[in-house]
Amino acid sequence: MLLFLTRRLIYMIPTLFLVSVVTFIVIQLPPGDYLDTLAAELNELGGLDDGTRQALEDQYGLGQPMYVQYFKWMRGILFYGDFGISFERNVPVNDLIWDRLGWTFAISVLTLLFIWMTALPIGIYSAVKKYSAGDYAATFFGFVGLAVPNFLLALVMMYVAFKYFGQSVGGLVSPEFIGEPWTVEKIIDLLKHIWMPIVVVGTSGAAALIRIMRANLLDELYRPYVVTARAKGMSEFQLLMRYPVRVALNPFISTIGWILPSLVSGEIIVAVVMNLPTTGPLLLRALLVQDMYLAGSLIFLVSILTVIGTLVSDLLLAWIDPRIRYQ
Amino acid sequence: MKLPTYRHALKGTVASLCLMAAGALPAYAQDYSEAPMLAEKVAAGELPPVEDRLPTDPMVMEVLDEVGEYGGTLRRAILGGGDQHNMVRLISNENLLRWNADWSAVVPNIAESYDVSEDATTFTFKLREGIRWSDGAPFTADDIMFWYEVFGDERLTPSKHPMYVGDSGPVEVTKIDDTTVEFKFGEANGLFLQNMAYGFGYYVVNYPRHYLEQFHTDYNDDIQALIDAEPAASDWVQLFNLRAGPMHTPAFWQNANRPTLHPWHIEEGYGTTQRMVASRNPYYWKVDESGQQLPYIDQVTWEQVEDPEAILLRAFNGEIDYMARHIGRPANLAGLTDNAERGQYGFYGVGDIGASQAALMFNLNNQDPALNEIVNTFEFRQAMSHAIDRQEIIDLVYLGVGAPVQTSPHPSAPFYNEDWSKQHTAFDPDAANALLDGMGLDQRDDDGFRLRPDGERLTFVFLVADVFGFQYPDVMELVSEYAANVGVDIQVRASDRSRLQEVASAAEHDGYIWNCPGGLSDAYTNPDCYLPRGQAVYWAPEWAAWGVDPATGTEPPENIKALFTAYEGVTGSADPAVQLAALEDLIEQSTSQLLTIGLMQSDGAFGIARNNLRNYPDPMPIAGQLWTPAPYTAQFFFEGGDNLD
Repeated sequence: MLLFLTRRLIYMIPTLFLVSVVTFIVIQLPPGDYLDTLAAELNELGGLDDGTRQALEDQYGLGQPMYVQYFKWMRGILFYGDFGISFERNVPVNDLIWDRLGWTFAISVLTLLFIWMTALPIGIYSAVKKYSAGDYAATFFGFVGLAVPNFLLALVMMYVAFKYFGQSVGGLVSPEFIGEPWTVEKIIDLLKHIWMPIVVVGTSGAAALIRIMRANLLDELYRPYVVTARAKGMSEFQLLMRYPVRVALNPFISTIGWILPSLVSGEIIVAVVMNLPTTGPLLLRALLVQDMYLAGSLIFLVSILTVIGTLVSDLLLAWIDPRIRYQ
Repeated sequence: MKLPTYRHALKGTVASLCLMAAGALPAYAQDYSEAPMLAEKVAAGELPPVEDRLPTDPMVMEVLDEVGEYGGTLRRAILGGGDQHNMVRLISNENLLRWNADWSAVVPNIAESYDVSEDATTFTFKLREGIRWSDGAPFTADDIMFWYEVFGDERLTPSKHPMYVGDSGPVEVTKIDDTTVEFKFGEANGLFLQNMAYGFGYYVVNYPRHYLEQFHTDYNDDIQALIDAEPAASDWVQLFNLRAGPMHTPAFWQNANRPTLHPWHIEEGYGTTQRMVASRNPYYWKVDESGQQLPYIDQVTWEQVEDPEAILLRAFNGEIDYMARHIGRPANLAGLTDNAERGQYGFYGVGDIGASQAALMFNLNNQDPALNEIVNTFEFRQAMSHAIDRQEIIDLVYLGVGAPVQTSPHPSAPFYNEDWSKQHTAFDPDAANALLDGMGLDQRDDDGFRLRPDGERLTFVFLVADVFGFQYPDVMELVSEYAANVGVDIQVRASDRSRLQEVASAAEHDGYIWNCPGGLSDAYTNPDCYLPRGQAVYWAPEWAAWGVDPATGTEPPENIKALFTAYEGVTGSADPAVQLAALEDLIEQSTSQLLTIGLMQSDGAFGIARNNLRNYPDPMPIAGQLWTPAPYTAQFFFEGGDNLD
């Protein structure tokens, strides 16, 4: 196990290196750079002449070859934990992202819990009571959850909350609490808001897992070992939990790896619509104005999350399912 | 909703101006009062008494409706990036001069009075005695001279704003005494006073010498320590630009330490926090007619959001106190009306009136010689104008709000002329076809499209950016269909704004669609659609370059040169009558040539204001360079002294 872990950790180094290179290239791919965006905005107000442009190019180091820019960026991250400067906001990327990354992570973990808490029992129920009314109902809502785009669901829920519950919607706390210290009222206010993104983001993930759980469990339910156990007089519930469910859990674990980054990056639109203080809106804006280091750093961090998530899910899988070998 | 016309507002302001002129406004310099929150600080010894904070002779600001009361927080929302004008236009347009509330006259502001020489080359401004920055330091002619130093410094200002540069070079600024400054141009600059009252007049009064000197290498020997402490700067120029960033860039709004002359100063900056806060400036230099120091409202806050729709929901919920930006569109009117009772707000008119809300601009400097000849033929532009069903565009895209007119002044402008507006606007595809046939473009290919003289299909590639709420892509799709009906192939290419401007400024496009300024008074200073001028409108980039410097660009034909000559008549005199006559000549010449094809003009947009907010201009004029309502916000107030719950 220790060997396995060490090997996996060593593998991560070249992976992350490749990820960082690809990230940097992808950010540079669109024609133009931040200065073009700036020039376009300034044009309406008088324009940006060649002298100023040159000065800004030097300031941001945009005139240099791409590999020099990459090297500078990487050196900053590796040796100083410095992710560079956000062009648009003129502040270190570090000042912008950690707070938001914290919220992103919190919402992600809560969403993951929400998905498990709903998908696991419903999936088991659906499999055991195959073709019952409950199964059909769960299946129906599952498909609806899969089919409705998240941002639309977000809009509908916000509208309902606004229209029928008179709630201040969007954001994680009401405007009057923004920037205030944490109090009991603020926490209650947070709870009033945070369930909405969790449900919205969690719905489609839960729907997918319900289907997977149901299918996997159905495969297991009629295996000879289950029949044997039942024949030996084991209680139905104990039997279910101890063997087939444990095996069928496999997909829950193996999806941790991609669930983390998908929650971080895949829910940008939801975060924009619901006005969440997460990394999504920041990344979107950074990409739009070609704020290179900010966008690069976010994508890079999300990639690291993916790699770590994959490692965690591999370890858990190995632990829960002995059939999976370390080799 | 009924949008009031300008004439109503005009009456009120003219009346109050007359009062001022007659000296009827009281000037009891002895009895000034202040906001309770400041009075507490004075009592606690944290601030000097109000008499010592105000200038010897503070500016008495005319209130729009009634004398107000102190208190409350003006709440707004701001987008997470690139939305700094949300703050600029609300709280910060304090210039030497300003426009009055209906945009009809230039009046003194920071300058107590001004003087113009006969030949319109020399402008002398007399500052108010004892005026102070928001940190209490005196504001004097030296601060303006410091700006002039920065302006003249190639390291700090490699490009100079054109309003401070004449044909023979940049303006020369001289300090006469501590409160008198003289601006001198090499030749007549008839629009300088107007420009000083518009947005970019702010430059000269936004460089507090006592604060900014520490970031300037000539004044601070230990500047390296400051550079080292700032991660975003690697030399003193960068550091200076960060701390002294111009007001229309985010840098200005991120620096909470910079003193200002504005009614509120920043406490929590833009961009990094979720909410921006600006608090009352205890040294603000305006009072109302009963001697109360302005502003009335304690605080202004902006909640940072990422999506304009989120602002709409905030407004429905009564969490926005005053706002037109991002939400004042016809498409939102129904939703806003339905929720007006719940959100406890009402509507006000916004005179966002350009010469055209959407103008079709063929590139008259096309790099393809065949296309260039076609677009420069008047009959072609006339035909395209007749081919378009403007009313249908207005009905479908603008929900019926607007009028089908050419690029021309708005009916409420003093130089409005119906002929200019209505010419060639009739929807008449037959006439269009006849005109095009008459040009010799009568051969068609199998798909029914006309052929150019060289046998290729007559195709124009139009660029379109999805700004201002997706209107332009929708409009262009319709235009493309109308053009196809008369055999002209218009291909629509969506692009983001920066790419569009990059291509268009290089004259590499066939055409694009955008709005045009110059519907009202801004026609004087911003006639970019009446003649090829400036960097914001790209219907003839080569001629525009020639206009700036005849050594560059392409020399235009005589009819275009005549436009430049006409405009010189506007800029060459400070006499309003001469300026008006020259402007009318320019617009007459320009519109009759149909240089751009205007599709529609809006009747103005709208904004929302909470029911107990008072003293806001209605309608509020607004234009690219007229940064409103900032010149009037100091006298906004909440009836009852607080926001509605």
